[in-house]
Amino acid sequence: MAETTLTPPAADASPAPAAEPARARPSWLGSFTTRFAVIGVWILLVIVFGALRPDTFLTAGSFQTIFGGQTQQALVFMCAALLCTILVGEFVDMSVASNFGMAAIVASVLTVNHDVNVWVAALIALVISTVVGLVNGFLVVKMGVNTIVVTLGMSTLLLGLAQWMANLMPVSGLPKSFSNLALTKILGLPTSFYFGVILMLVFAYVLKFTPLGRNMRFVGENREVSRLAGVRVTRVRIGAFTVAGVIAGLGGIISASATGGFDPSTSQMYLMPMFAATFLGTAILQPGRFTPLGTLLAVYFLATGVLGLQLLGATAWVSNVFYGGVLVIAVTLTTILARRQR
Amino acid sequence: MSTPAATGAGSPRLSVQNVSVTFGPNRVLKDVSLEVQPGEIHGLIGQNGSGKSTLAKVLTGLYTPDAGASVSVDGTALDLPVRPDEATAAGVAVVHQSLGLVGDLTVLENMRVGRMKASRVLRRIDWRRERAEAAAVFERMGRQLPLDAKVSSLREDERAIVAIARALQDLHPGEGLIIFDESTRSLGRRSLEQFFAIVDEIVATGTSVLMITHRLEEIVDAADRVTILRDGVAVQSGLKAEGLQERDLAALMLGESIVDLEQRTPAAIDDSRAGTSLKGLSGLGVRGVDLEIKAGEVLGLTGLSGSGYDDVPYLVSGASPATAGELHVDGRPVKLRKLSPVAAMRAGIALVPEGREHAGLAMNLSVAENMAFPLTSRASAVLAPLKAKDEATLVSSWIEKLDVRPVAPQALLKNFSGGNQQKVLMGKWLATAPSLLVLHEPTQAVDVGARHTIVSAIRQAAAEQGCAVLVAGSDENELALLADRVLIFGDGEVRQELTGEITPDAIVAAIYANGSRARLRTRPSGADGTGGTGGTGTQGAAGTDTAGTPGEQGTQGEPRDVGQVNDDAAAPAPAGGAA
Repeated sequence: MAETTLTPPAADASPAPAAEPARARPSWLGSFTTRFAVIGVWILLVIVFGALRPDTFLTAGSFQTIFGGQTQQALVFMCAALLCTILVGEFVDMSVASNFGMAAIVASVLTVNHDVNVWVAALIALVISTVVGLVNGFLVVKMGVNTIVVTLGMSTLLLGLAQWMANLMPVSGLPKSFSNLALTKILGLPTSFYFGVILMLVFAYVLKFTPLGRNMRFVGENREVSRLAGVRVTRVRIGAFTVAGVIAGLGGIISASATGGFDPSTSQMYLMPMFAATFLGTAILQPGRFTPLGTLLAVYFLATGVLGLQLLGATAWVSNVFYGGVLVIAVTLTTILARRQR
Repeated sequence: MSTPAATGAGSPRLSVQNVSVTFGPNRVLKDVSLEVQPGEIHGLIGQNGSGKSTLAKVLTGLYTPDAGASVSVDGTALDLPVRPDEATAAGVAVVHQSLGLVGDLTVLENMRVGRMKASRVLRRIDWRRERAEAAAVFERMGRQLPLDAKVSSLREDERAIVAIARALQDLHPGEGLIIFDESTRSLGRRSLEQFFAIVDEIVATGTSVLMITHRLEEIVDAADRVTILRDGVAVQSGLKAEGLQERDLAALMLGESIVDLEQRTPAAIDDSRAGTSLKGLSGLGVRGVDLEIKAGEVLGLTGLSGSGYDDVPYLVSGASPATAGELHVDGRPVKLRKLSPVAAMRAGIALVPEGREHAGLAMNLSVAENMAFPLTSRASAVLAPLKAKDEATLVSSWIEKLDVRPVAPQALLKNFSGGNQQKVLMGKWLATAPSLLVLHEPTQAVDVGARHTIVSAIRQAAAEQGCAVLVAGSDENELALLADRVLIFGDGEVRQELTGEITPDAIVAAIYANGSRARLRTRPSGADGTGGTGGTGTQGAAGTDTAGTPGEQGTQGEPRDVGQVNDDAAAPAPAGGAA
């Protein structure tokens, strides 16, 4: 009955929004160019560096440096941890790098200085990192403290503790068997590379294809909408902080395994490239959205740029210029893309 | 491209000529022209997506029109894109959607923001001067308001006065133009009448008003002339409004005449099923409410703002905690105390809240994601893969049923018009096949076409799925279309029940006890819009208004306490028994 009386106006509505389908279409074409713009620049970089330094840049060695380098592996884990909280709508978690360093130093110090079994030490380190994430989550979500203040404080606190534990000295001497965890080569690249790729693939899968991933996206977009749809918003948010701790801890342990120890003061050096890669990731694949795979590609994009510039003769300063510049450009891009996003 | 004549008595107050706006390959406005004469109320209407708000954004300088356009005030052309300060200087003031006031600041601060002058040496704000300026405007309007009161503490009709006063202060008396950009969308009936009383006084002085609105009644009752947009084209520009009916306007907006625009389908009550019953609901502004909804029935709730009717949807769906009450949905009991949204959904209750941006939808995600969200949000196996195919089928079937346009399930919701977003919100909850569907203002700020789709979808859910429907709303026209029965609230309790033939007039009459639904405005009888007739009409409307608005505040503390006492008395009993 409802149909007979009320269908005509519904049918009438057809001419009115006729302009709208057209509005949706060209964005796809437009997004094709934005989607692959970064990849295009990447290819361009390879061509330019290859032309300028054919003998050093176009070698298997530089391929291994880019994809097998421990800095990149560390960054992949840190970016994944950072993504966890960004995706549920938090502002950047500043403590990821320090938490990573904490895990690496705990595992190293306990094994080297206190003769704890290396696997037990790794487990303890992982537990500590997880607890750090949980505490962050509790303070931000339950107590309502500002994310950046809590995590910045936590970051400095953990850095200090790590320096105290290591007595401000680099720790080394982890057993060879433990190093095999990260350094065993498969097809020319160390296992740590594959760990990072698997982590990001699993993350991407969860995000795209599971209810948990969808709930995370919705919590990030609109907490009230999520709550009214029956999502346990608090649990999701604290969970994100905790998992961020777990991932940072795993990354730290793998890094310690790869280098046979850890220098507590190095963790802060990852802060800039981590943000640069994560934000640059939003300009790849799905413009305007934070995506694990986009971030993964961004990490290797940055590594290519830095290596190329170093081969051209630039010294240590170049990474600062490059990471800083990319971060500013990437954040601006993110903002513009999010506005234009269809 | 007729250039308006040089400045003179004959030139219109606002002249918009040949405005086109192009976004990428689409022209969303095509050669729109309109003229607002001095001292008239000029209505601007059109469906969502017709280009109405685009035109408003051109006039406020947010969008740049294509070359060839001209906008002039009193015969003087403005530079394009319009610069807000230049427009203000030319005498154009804008009252934005939902009035654009900051609730936490005082009336005075809201009035003077952006206009405050610093003192000469210390560069501090000279509050005495600000206060005098603000007071002068209220004086001019003949209204009194406490300048130091926070806006959030004002009644909605008083807030409307503040918004109008803020616009009026920049205009010289008897000159200028005020653009109301859907400012009336959140006003209740009495405030609306009050609002038009003031607007009438303003235009009687010679100031013009451009009224962008969704409510056709405002055009039929109050506007002098109207411009109607459809698909970005002005299908009527400056049509005389007197004598027009709402259905005429709707037909012009939609492009075809509409049969049975305001007709309700017969009730489809299913007595074989238990339906929904609610006993002793208390919480927020509600105390001890009992009600019953049969399967297939649509029950409307309404009342004055603050009467508690609009709290019921949130209390019965677990969005806000109730202090007491029990609900039976299809015979199954649901405890309302500490009810969570999760438990409510499990019991077959779906809430379509007011405010789609805030509580309804995630605008940065796609139509498909939004529609399918409630189906997976409570999944216990959070890592089990989503059933993409089933979801796609479901989503496209609801897109078709609700006529969501464009048909682009993967497009982000923020790119859709308001009416289509509201359809997606309806689809999102209808897809859960609820036993009890709870709605709050389901067709607020939605155009005529979308409103009918939504109304028919709700009535269909009741008729075909035997769903019990609870609608809380302040729009009497919407309720008259939707509800089989209407309950009128007062002080958190049910005061009156309307059955049988439900008309907008009957609803308003019941809300305001012995009040009536006054005509929004009596047009001046003469051909020219000056003279005292408008004034007298205003006096009458204003008079009934003050009589009809009783003090609503102050009574809420007590009832809440009563609920609390009942509750506390009930709670210890089982605990004592256990110990």
